[in-house]
Parts: sequence; C-alpha cells; structure tokens
Amino acid sequence: MTNYPHPKIPGLVEDLKTGRLDRREFLRFATLLGLSAGAAYGIAGLGSDGELTSAAHADDMPKGGTLRLGMRCQEIKNPHASDFVERTNVIRQVCEYLTLTGQDNITHPYLLEKWDVSEDLKTWTLTLRKGIKWHSGRPLTADDVVWNLKRVADPASGSSVLGLLTGYLVKEVDAGEKDKDGKPKKTSKLWADNAIEKVDDLTIRLNAYAPQIAVPEHLFHYPMFILDPAEKGVFGVGSNGTGPFELTEYTVGASGKLKARTDYWGKGPYLETLEIVDLGDNPGAAVSAMASKQVDGLHEADAIQINAMKSFPHVAVYQAVTAQTAVARMRQDHKPFDDKRVRDAMRLAVDRSKVIQASLLGAGVAAEDHHVAPIHPEYAKLPDRARDVAKAKQLLADAGFPNGLDTEIVTRPDPAWEINAVQALVEQFKEVGIRATIKPLPGAQYWDVWDKAPFSFTGWGHRPLGIMVLSLAYRTGAVWNESGYSNKEFDDLLGQAEGTLDVEKRRAIMAKIEKLLQDDGPISQPFWRTTSTVMDKKVKGFNQHPSQYIFAQELAVSA
Amino acid sequence: MAGFIAKRLVLMLFTMLAASFVVFAVTEFAPGTVARKTLGPYASQQQVDVLSDKLKANDPLLVRYVRWLGVLAGAIPDPLQDKTNGLGFSDPRGPQYFGNFGYSTLYKVPVNDMMWGRLRNTAILAGFAFALIIPLSILFGVLSGLREGSRMDRTLSILSICFTSIPEFASGVFLVTLFVILIPVLPGTSPLTNSGGWSISSQFVLPVAVLVIYDFGYVARMIRISMVGVMEKPYIRTAILKGMSPRRVILGHALRNAMIAPFTVLLLQINFLISGVVVTELVFAYPGFGRMLLEASLFGDIATIEAATMVTVAIAVATQLIGDIGYMILNPQIRVV
Repeated sequence: MTNYPHPKIPGLVEDLKTGRLDRREFLRFATLLGLSAGAAYGIAGLGSDGELTSAAHADDMPKGGTLRLGMRCQEIKNPHASDFVERTNVIRQVCEYLTLTGQDNITHPYLLEKWDVSEDLKTWTLTLRKGIKWHSGRPLTADDVVWNLKRVADPASGSSVLGLLTGYLVKEVDAGEKDKDGKPKKTSKLWADNAIEKVDDLTIRLNAYAPQIAVPEHLFHYPMFILDPAEKGVFGVGSNGTGPFELTEYTVGASGKLKARTDYWGKGPYLETLEIVDLGDNPGAAVSAMASKQVDGLHEADAIQINAMKSFPHVAVYQAVTAQTAVARMRQDHKPFDDKRVRDAMRLAVDRSKVIQASLLGAGVAAEDHHVAPIHPEYAKLPDRARDVAKAKQLLADAGFPNGLDTEIVTRPDPAWEINAVQALVEQFKEVGIRATIKPLPGAQYWDVWDKAPFSFTGWGHRPLGIMVLSLAYRTGAVWNESGYSNKEFDDLLGQAEGTLDVEKRRAIMAKIEKLLQDDGPISQPFWRTTSTVMDKKVKGFNQHPSQYIFAQELAVSA
Repeated sequence: MAGFIAKRLVLMLFTMLAASFVVFAVTEFAPGTVARKTLGPYASQQQVDVLSDKLKANDPLLVRYVRWLGVLAGAIPDPLQDKTNGLGFSDPRGPQYFGNFGYSTLYKVPVNDMMWGRLRNTAILAGFAFALIIPLSILFGVLSGLREGSRMDRTLSILSICFTSIPEFASGVFLVTLFVILIPVLPGTSPLTNSGGWSISSQFVLPVAVLVIYDFGYVARMIRISMVGVMEKPYIRTAILKGMSPRRVILGHALRNAMIAPFTVLLLQINFLISGVVVTELVFAYPGFGRMLLEASLFGDIATIEAATMVTVAIAVATQLIGDIGYMILNPQIRVV
C-alpha cells in the first residue's frame, strides 16, 4: 500500500474515486494534508505537476526580450506591510512565498517541499525545498523563515498577516498602558515562546493553540514574503531574494526595471527584462498606451477599458472568476440594523443580475449573502433566493417601519465599480421603502470609518478559502469584523468547520453557516467580481490569477 | 528700481510664509492620517498609532509647522531622518541643510530628489506649449481685432471660442482616438521613456497640442478685445488718415499698445501651465509636477505639498514682478515707486 504522509489521505483518494469529491476538492485537501502537489495531481489524473504554468511548456517558450507592464509604481519599502496588489507584484518577482495558490485556487508548497499537519490540526511541520539559494549565493534556511514569521507576528511590522495569525498563533494581550480614554491598550504577541520553532536547517514547526486548516493559504497571504533577515525587512533596488528577478531600477510614481536571474531554482524566467510603467490613475491613459504598444500588458483592465480595447487586433483579453466582492454591511449594534428583519429586508430588496449589469457591465457572478463563493472548495449550494419586494416590505413593517426607513451608506468613490454598485443598490432599496443617501468618502477617510459606520459598502479581496474570510470578517471580536457581528452559533460552527477534515461533514457544516448568514447575517452581498486584464498577443504564458498576482517567471514575449 | 525689486522679494517671502501656514492648516482638516494611508485599510489601529508616533504626526499643528520651517531653513535636522526611528529615511545631503524640503511620505524619497525632476518635465511641456500659444494667440487676436465685426473677426472668434470651450480631457481623448487609434502615427502616452519605439520628442506632440488648443483661444480673445479698443483710438485714425501704410500702423502703433493689457494674461498662463496642467498630465500619463501635486494632496504628503506650494507661489510672484517691469517697458507712462 502506498505510504501517504497523513492517515486521512487514503480516504480522500477513495472519495475521489467514488465521486464524493471532485478533482479540485481532492487536490485542495490532499495537498493540505501534506501530499506533494505532483503526487496529488498524478492521483487526480491531471498529468500536470501543478506548477504555476498551466499550458505553457518551458521548451516552447521564446527566450529573452523585454516585457513592459502598465501598473502603478507604488512605494515598496516594507514588503511585510504591503497592502495593494501593485506593490506586491513588484516584490513578488524578487522575493517568494513558502506556498503558492495557483490560478486553479489550489495551494501548493512552493519554497516548501511539503507540509505535514497533526491530526488535531494544531501542529504544522514545514519542510523547505533543498537547494534554494538567495541571489547572494547563501542557501535558504529555516532560520530565515523563522525570522520572517516572527517578524510579521510583531505589531511593529505593520503586517496584516498578524490578523490571520491571531486566533491560533498570536494572542491579544494587555499592553500595560492606558490610552487617552483610560481604557487599557492592547497589543499582540505569539502565544508561546515555541509557537514558531526551528527543528533543523530545513524544518520549521508551528505550534498552535487552536486548530487551523488554512495555514498553507495564510503563508501565501500577499505580504507573507520570505525576506533576507540581513535586510531587516526593508526592500528596494538590489534587495536580496530567492525569486527569479532582481530589481535594478525603481522610481515611485514613474517606472521600474527587473532583470532576470540566470541561477533561479525554479522554472523560467524566460524574459530578460521586466519593465513597469506607471500610467497614473486615468483609465484612458492605459488604453492609449496599449493602443500605441507602449506597454505589452496591463495589470488590470476594467470592463469599460476592455470594451475600448476590443477592436485592437493585437490585444488579448484575460478573465478570472474570483472571490473578490463587495458587501453592503450593517452594524449589528446600531439601529435599525440591530433587527434581523431589517437586515433580511436589505437582502431581499436586491436584484443581483441588475446590479451586476449596472456596475460591472455583466462581468460578475451573483452572490448569496454569505460570503462563500462557488469557487471556494467548501462552498455548499443553497436554494436560490430571488428578489422579493413584497416580503421585504412586510419584514420592514413587522420591524416597526411600515413607512420605510431613512439611512446613509458610506462608500468610497474609487474604484468606480464600487460606487456604481452602491448607486444600483440604493435605487433597489428605494423600491422596498429604504431611502438611503450615499456618503462617498475619499479612500483614506473611508479607511478610518470602514469598520465603524453603521452602514457601509466594503470591498473584499479574493481569498482561496471561504473559512478564511469568514474568520476574518464575521467571527466575534475578529480584527476585521467590520459589522461587529457576534453570533455564538456562528462562531461555534465556524470553529467546527476549521477543525473538520472530512469533506462531506464539512460541507454540511458550511451549509448551516451559509444559511445562518442568509437569515441573520450582517451583509447584503450583490456579486462576485470577474477580474480582467489585457496583454499583447505576443505575450506568452500569461494566465489571469484570481488575486491579480503576476508571476513574471511564467511570461515570455515572442519577437 | 532696485528698491522696488527688493520690496517685492520681501513681499514674496511673506506671501510664501502665509501660504505655507495656510496649506499646513488646511491639510490638517483633510481626511485620514498619513500613517493610515501608508499602512492601508487592514492594518490595526495599534499599528497605525505606532507609525503615527514615528512620523511625529501627533504633535500639535504649530509645533509641526515651526519644525517644518526650521528644517527648511537648515536650523534643525529633519527628525524623520533620525536613524533610531526605523523609518529608513535618509537624505544623501544629510539631515540638516538650507532648503531641506523634508522627506516625502508618499514617494519615500527626499522631496528635493523628486520634485525638481518633475518640475523640469512640466517646464519643458509648458515651454513648448507657451512657445506656440504666444504667436498663435497674437495672430488670431490681432487679425480679428483689426476690424470688429468683419467676416475675418467672426470666423476667428468662433474658432477661438470653440477651441477654448473644449475641456482638456475631451480634446485629449479626441486627439488620441484620431492619431493613436484610427491613424496610428503618434504615441498615446508620454512616460518620457523610449517605450515601444516611440521617440521622446514624439511623446510631446499630443500633450502640447491639448494645452495649446485649450489655452490659445482664450488669450486670443483677450488680445482681440484690447486690439479692438486700440483700433478705435484717435491716434490710430490720425495715422491712417495721414496715409501711413496699414502694416506700419499695426506694427508700429497698434500692436505695442494692444499688448499692454493681455501681457498680464499671458504671464498668468505661465502659472496655469506649471500648476494647472494636472488633467493633461493625467490623460497622457506624463510624469510632471501637476500629477505629483495631485497625488501628494490625495495622500496628505505634507512635505511634498508644502514644497510644491513654495514653488508655485514663487513662480506666481516672479511672473507678477516680470509683469510689472514689462508694463514699464511697454508703457512709459507707468512708473513704479
């Protein structure tokens, strides 16, 4: 009998054979339990080794040349604290992640050779690939990884990974100081000295206090780069990395240049140079630059830009179905949203296909008000809930608002699809008697109130697992719980889902969670966004990643 | 004369002081903190507070303003460049020197390392535009002002008004559609790098065209009104009646007098071209001063906003001074005291 790294894997193989699991689910869970991506893909009969490149083969790729990418050149000094995809798309070519979630939404080991997890999902053993060298020539070691993981767990680093680690590796503690209002200040720290420990030169162990199934995905969270500890977390031109490129020039707001390494440990790179051109915030400039072939591709193109470029013969359009979304979220501790009937009326008021048409020009998939997307491996399909104006009105009347109610929805003017979606929603709310005025706040001011305003519209990035976002956004007391949602039943179910490996059992729990959020939850969620971009047809090897990540080692340009 | 210029320079200093304080105070009311903007939406409040402390953003407004003045004058070192705060800010010129505009929190470089290059780019763009706007507007203005109500006047007036009425973003899109997409003879953006085989000079054509189209018609209208006024003056009638050739009447008598009033308008265009070309710079992704100012303002990057304000105030006051001196040369009746 084959010797699998985890006792549950034979069961998964059996489930795959009998059809209880589809291939994607099998890959997701088998790799989660420490089966190498190659082996998992082999069992699933996909024939691919699950590396980044899906279709392209190294031998067919043209070698050399320069690819010019149109993307904002934002400040990149602090990779562990990066937030926008644009920043990480620069750093990503130089520094790498321990794991990697591919276009198929499956997470593989990357700098890691494999991971092993204990039965209780509390002890994670991470084994590094042998032979990976920093650009400086020094081998990558467990010490490097431990330094990086400990750094992001320190609040001083400003990293949003901290939020993900809270709940199993990091605990909030009293800082011993009082703030201006006399309340005790909180700080975060690792729950135990050996929470992150080095086992040997290639092995790291995470000792968690609570089970966590999404560790591989957390290790691919966008700021979770493995940096050279000697550089103390500061990134710039000439920075050391294990990645395929070296940053040779970079000017914020203007341009950047990356040169390919010849000694990269993985596949590729095929390009000689990657150039980044900052085209500013005006969407028209990006179209013009594509038209005159001043850039070979864009980091992102919205539906309006795509429409403008459809007739260009040299341009190919790429799309990815994602779990990127935006939610109209209501704070449970503010009237009138403390009444679940009001919250439900907000959901029943929405005609999703119309919102998708009005704000995304059709480039989206209807969501179901529970923030778990059909592309998430643990998604459970619930019966459709169509728009029901009469029922919404009835719910409002029952809640004591027979004449409707007045409210204010906070949003930001950029990106345009967000405010367009809010306008579409507000028009639909009107028909059930909810008169909402739109309060657009500039990005920065919005971020100060995004988790405080009684009613606001929030964009949420793509995450490979549904439980990741549920735990970040809806668990009682979670750092990003913007709606102040607190429901013991939900918390318990989510805890069970995070600790359950059996797919069928897990899906049954997820169905309960989703139903609970549809009935009681704090959000009205119109859609999942389909992201898109364009590349010149001479660009080979490109596939739109759902998180809009660019891996330039996959790309090549034909002459 | 020397006394006049000295007085003006002192006045300029006061204007700059007042403007810098107003900008500081206004930025205070702008939404969001730099620390929040730097760390992004998902950083915890705790992390934002740590960075705010490092950036010394929590000090009272007056303290921060005086500190900024002290750093600019070279009296004190820039506290943000203190190595112990872990921000990694360092200016190759050192933390303390005269004219230290501080460290840009948005671009993460010393303002002096970034602003002058941007200003130079915009000055080149403005220079090309200005060099075309002056002759074009004088030609249009003089020709239409020669005989008010003539066919030529009406034709040129309609043309000028039409051009001036087209907003820059509209003419930008129109020109791009025409010369980049339909007849691809020009590059659609102007990043000022040799991208896609387009020469740097070709990248100036469209932005300069947009600025000229937007601006020259307005100046031409100003010159026209002045010209119409001058052409009705008795000395012009006398000159014509005594048999002087129209060419000499216009060039020798009318033009110089007609240029006095529009002179100010022309000089004001310099201010517009330096700080008001944001739209054109956005449309063509031009790495200029206007775009920098817009981005810095949206971010709340006080060091960059202040430095840019100082530069624009200096340009405004300097053009005014040139205007006053120019008046004296054009019209000997005007004297300054």
